[in-house]
Amino acid sequence: MLRNAFGNRPGAIPFGLAICLLLQLVPSLIAQTAGMGVLTGRIVDSSGNPVANATVTVTSVDNGQVRSATTGTDGSYRFDDLPLGSYRMKLEAAGFQTLEIPPATVDGTKPSVVDEKLQASAPTTTKPGLEQQDNLPNAPSSSTAPSLSDLGLTPEQTQGNAREQALLDKRTHMLKIHQRMGLITTIPLIATVILGPGAGGKSEGTVTRDLHVALGALTGDLYGITAYYAIRAPRIPGTKKRGPIKFHEAMAWIHGPGMIATPILGIMAFDQKNKGEKVHGAASAHGPVAIVTAGAFGAALLSVSVKF
Amino acid sequence: MNKKILIVFLLVTLPAFAADSQWVLKQSTLTYHVSHPLHESEGVSHAARGKGVCHDGQCDFLIAVAVKSFDSGDSNRDLHMVQVTRGAEFPIVTVRTRLPESAASSATINADLEIQFAGQTAQYKKVPFKVETQGGETHITGTIPATLTDFKIDPPSLLTMPVKNEIPVRVDMIWRSQ
Repeated sequence: MLRNAFGNRPGAIPFGLAICLLLQLVPSLIAQTAGMGVLTGRIVDSSGNPVANATVTVTSVDNGQVRSATTGTDGSYRFDDLPLGSYRMKLEAAGFQTLEIPPATVDGTKPSVVDEKLQASAPTTTKPGLEQQDNLPNAPSSSTAPSLSDLGLTPEQTQGNAREQALLDKRTHMLKIHQRMGLITTIPLIATVILGPGAGGKSEGTVTRDLHVALGALTGDLYGITAYYAIRAPRIPGTKKRGPIKFHEAMAWIHGPGMIATPILGIMAFDQKNKGEKVHGAASAHGPVAIVTAGAFGAALLSVSVKF
Repeated sequence: MNKKILIVFLLVTLPAFAADSQWVLKQSTLTYHVSHPLHESEGVSHAARGKGVCHDGQCDFLIAVAVKSFDSGDSNRDLHMVQVTRGAEFPIVTVRTRLPESAASSATINADLEIQFAGQTAQYKKVPFKVETQGGETHITGTIPATLTDFKIDPPSLLTMPVKNEIPVRVDMIWRSQ
């Protein structure tokens, strides 16, 4: 089987093994060729629990270049494509002492692993032997630099809230769809309004009327999707609405009912017209209601797009 | 007698020179500016806190401000700003710098700033600030030339058009020495 995989010729196995070894070496060869390496590790607290959202900052000893990363929920961090060399590291997390550690070397042959343990809150600390290396012009000295707690900020104020961030992400995602669908809806909406006079009034032809109905139905469907994404977007607790969004929402109270009333009145007008009657009664409000609805929709769109 | 006077003088004055002095941020206005093809907008915060600790002629400053404290007058835009800058995950923007104690008496200072924002750290070298000292208070004004890419923030877009990468932050602060 092994021989089959690597060929049946004598000497094929050593050749196949050579290929495998070469393939294994390729990533590190590429890394070395490109002069890049990987620095990774895991940050835990004194009990060994992972510290999420810790900021890991690496500063190149050679050129002062700074990169930073944030630990994930398992406390791990990773820097890809770091230029080879030595890096000073600073570990910061809300509720923990800031830790500065002596340089780690990224040599490119294999990922450099630096695992560290953070101690509970106190001002910046420095491991012995680092003071001499810390020569950045703006690097605050560890003995005197004020900390967030010196500013009166509590860990609750400085600690990140992943759940709230996820809620904000979902909100933005849904509102982006709402925005795009709103723009798309505008196209058949305008077309429907333009075709309106030709579909009713004195026209006896049915083509324009049918097209008007079809575009109106499409507008209604797209509007429904647009509205869904606005209504279902998560609300962020403690947020007081200010600015153009209030006008945008007020307009929804006009174009929302209008988008329901317009097709109902339109069906009534359509029936009357098909019976050869002149549009009369409530159905005669179809046109004006549609105009007000389209106007409110346009005003809502402009209110969040253009600063007046 | 003269020796005694000299010793008393030294005992009184030396600790004063050796002691750490501090600066406290009394008042601040931080304003970010965002440009979009359709309109310009600004977000303002007056909620920054700051402190400077001086030792051996050098002062280490830390200024911190909550991302959520910036108000653009539009709650929708502010929530979007907090989302794109990951302000719930990283609620505080910090600015660190070290300046010589003598900087307060200069007309301008060029500060090297280390800014932590949106989970990233960026350094700005020699950012010029205007300094005016009056009645024990030092008024500092300037603009930090921040960009979205400095903090790996995806440019938010409106009507599929993204905002400009540049988000200069105007700084207007009044510090008091203690």
